[in-house]
Amino acid sequence: MTLVLAWNNVRTNRTGFAASFVAVLLAVMLVSSSGLLVASAGADDELNGIMGLLVLSALVSGFVSVFVVSGTLSLHVLRQRRTWGLLRSVGMTPWQVRRLVMAEALVVAVLASAAGCALAVPYAGAVAAFMRAVGLTPAGIPLEVTWGPFVLALVVGLVVTLLAAWGAARKAVRAGPLEVLRESAAQQRLMPWPRAVAGVVALAGGVALLSLVPHVKAVAAVPTGLGATMALCVGASALGPVLLRGMGWILGAPAAWLDPGAGTLARASLITQPRRAMSAASPVMLAVALACTFLFAVSTSDAAAGVTRTGPSAWAAPVLVGSGVAYTVISVLNAMAMSMAERAEEIRLLRSVGTEPGQLARAVCWESLIVTCAGALLGTGIAAASLAALGKAATGELWFAYSVPQYLGLVTVCAVSGLIGGLAATRKARHGPLIS
Amino acid sequence: MSDQAVLLDGVTKTYGGGATEVAALRQVSVGFPRGSFTAVMGPSGSGKSTLLQCASGLDRPQSGAVRIAGKDITRLRERELAVLRRDGIGIIFQAFNLVPSLTAWQNVILPSRLARRRPDPARVRELLHRVGLAGREGHRPAQLSGGQQQRVAIARALLGRPEVLFADEPTGALDRGTGHEVLALLREAADEFGQTVVMVTHDPEAAARADSVLFLTDGRIVDVLDRPSVDQIGMRLGGRR
Ligand SMILES: Nc1ncnc2c1ncn2[C@@H]1O[C@H](COP(=O)(O)OP(=O)(O)OP(=O)(O)O)[C@@H](O)[C@H]1O
Ligand SMILES: [Mg+2]
Repeated sequence: MTLVLAWNNVRTNRTGFAASFVAVLLAVMLVSSSGLLVASAGADDELNGIMGLLVLSALVSGFVSVFVVSGTLSLHVLRQRRTWGLLRSVGMTPWQVRRLVMAEALVVAVLASAAGCALAVPYAGAVAAFMRAVGLTPAGIPLEVTWGPFVLALVVGLVVTLLAAWGAARKAVRAGPLEVLRESAAQQRLMPWPRAVAGVVALAGGVALLSLVPHVKAVAAVPTGLGATMALCVGASALGPVLLRGMGWILGAPAAWLDPGAGTLARASLITQPRRAMSAASPVMLAVALACTFLFAVSTSDAAAGVTRTGPSAWAAPVLVGSGVAYTVISVLNAMAMSMAERAEEIRLLRSVGTEPGQLARAVCWESLIVTCAGALLGTGIAAASLAALGKAATGELWFAYSVPQYLGLVTVCAVSGLIGGLAATRKARHGPLIS
Repeated sequence: MSDQAVLLDGVTKTYGGGATEVAALRQVSVGFPRGSFTAVMGPSGSGKSTLLQCASGLDRPQSGAVRIAGKDITRLRERELAVLRRDGIGIIFQAFNLVPSLTAWQNVILPSRLARRRPDPARVRELLHRVGLAGREGHRPAQLSGGQQQRVAIARALLGRPEVLFADEPTGALDRGTGHEVLALLREAADEFGQTVVMVTHDPEAAARADSVLFLTDGRIVDVLDRPSVDQIGMRLGGRR
């Protein structure tokens, strides 16, 4: 019985499963390949110079992986609230529901982790080859395949996936069956207090790290700054729903003014469902915050030291932060697709009361643009805070170096992947038959 | 023929295929004259909702033509259909009528907003009042009961005075008093504004308010009664059992 239910769930929630699978696969691939690179470089004395950056980028990858996998999994489980509520109302016990959720998560975690490990070796090879090609490591990194990184990545992949599913399942079954079916309760409890406390603690930790930056040793400044960025990201994403309701209200106003029909729809759904919006905005925030901190920290310390990097060494920071950022950008697409996929019914209703195809597409675009903008703004704020602290450490002033083209490029990539995810996930509902 | 607001000609609709094929409508031909109020009755699963969906252009039949105001809507493009649904047709579904993120008021004015029109607030207020939802304007669908949600949809369908109104059991979830008010609104739409009303119902009393009653069984129209009394309808339904 449980198996039949699980299989039906997989079939009706393809987008969610695909997104979870991709998230776990890429996370495991990223963590194990960074681990491989660090281990291989550690064995070679000549690579000491690049070691610090490699470790830093491995830490960033690990953080991003945990963040994205847990976010994707809990979004996936919570999206199916209605199914869980329905099953509860026909007599399934909370324990059975939880077991069903965990069984599904386990299957996804095992399959995706295995695939991720398989892809890690070629991927690490590609990164090493790329670093060699741009001249970062003239001799190249001789890859040594050892068990350690894989074990680490598998444990991280499985544990994070299962924990996230467990937490979301607990939340999903704690609400009574009726509450879930009416969905009103889920909307009203915007900020349960454990979440608020966690958010505030993380923010406070981030601020404490920021104030430490000017006082630690010069080599520790950048890692401390990155740590502050990560802590602030965790805090902002916990407090995100509240932040996003306000931002949706403000950012949605011009959209509603420019395009009354479509813009108003987009704005209304952001204001009423800020949690859903935040799950798509947080990867954008993460990508922007981490990439900007990493990239511009390097340029700030260079500028402070009067160094102008040209040739191979100018590539160091972008290459090393690249994988992590690419992963978050993919997860922007992922998250947007998931949060839009649950809207099929709503989209069909909008069509049946006469929303034109163009208006529908624009509503989807407005919504994803506002979400990415909100995420980018949060990320920019966080990065600016960390960078200012780093600048103060380097020069004694609240100042930092930045590159407008790199920044705009990053934000554009996030916005475009959000648009692609949103439009692709709603394609069938927008163009398919109205009566399913 | 042009006095027929809606005309179905040999409409056939089947769901699924192979062993699970269900013929929901079989060669249905029927006209709904302009300004008339028609009730559609029949056992559960007889194809009433399907008839409404095909007649309103939500679904395309496998064969046959559906004409609204003389135009064959099975040949319209998606955009033209959207404009027709927005301005020419009002639809009230059995369930899931409202956009969850919009308030009752916003849901009512949605089609006008999509057409970039500003509806008269006094009329919106009056409509919501008449369907018994005064004071509920700012509530979202999750805060309204099933019957209240459907009444918001009724107000939405009436606001733009569309040529044709399709309603799927609009009184099914309502108490007698509210049900009477809704029927009065539909009756008024036909009598005063010349709108064409097609209403699915299981309730003989509601059907008796219509100008004529169609009886559907197994996807076929098996009978039509003009200006029937409640008793006649009851007998017609009883005779089948
Ligand atoms: N999407 C669908 N897929 C498959 N079969 C369908 C679908 N929709 C309706 N049917 C079938 O078509 C037939 C007619 O359904 P319809 O919804 O029109 O009935 P109805 O007369 O409105 O019933 P009720 O009074 O219960 O609302 C039924 O046998 C139903 O099972
Ligand atoms: Mg029906």
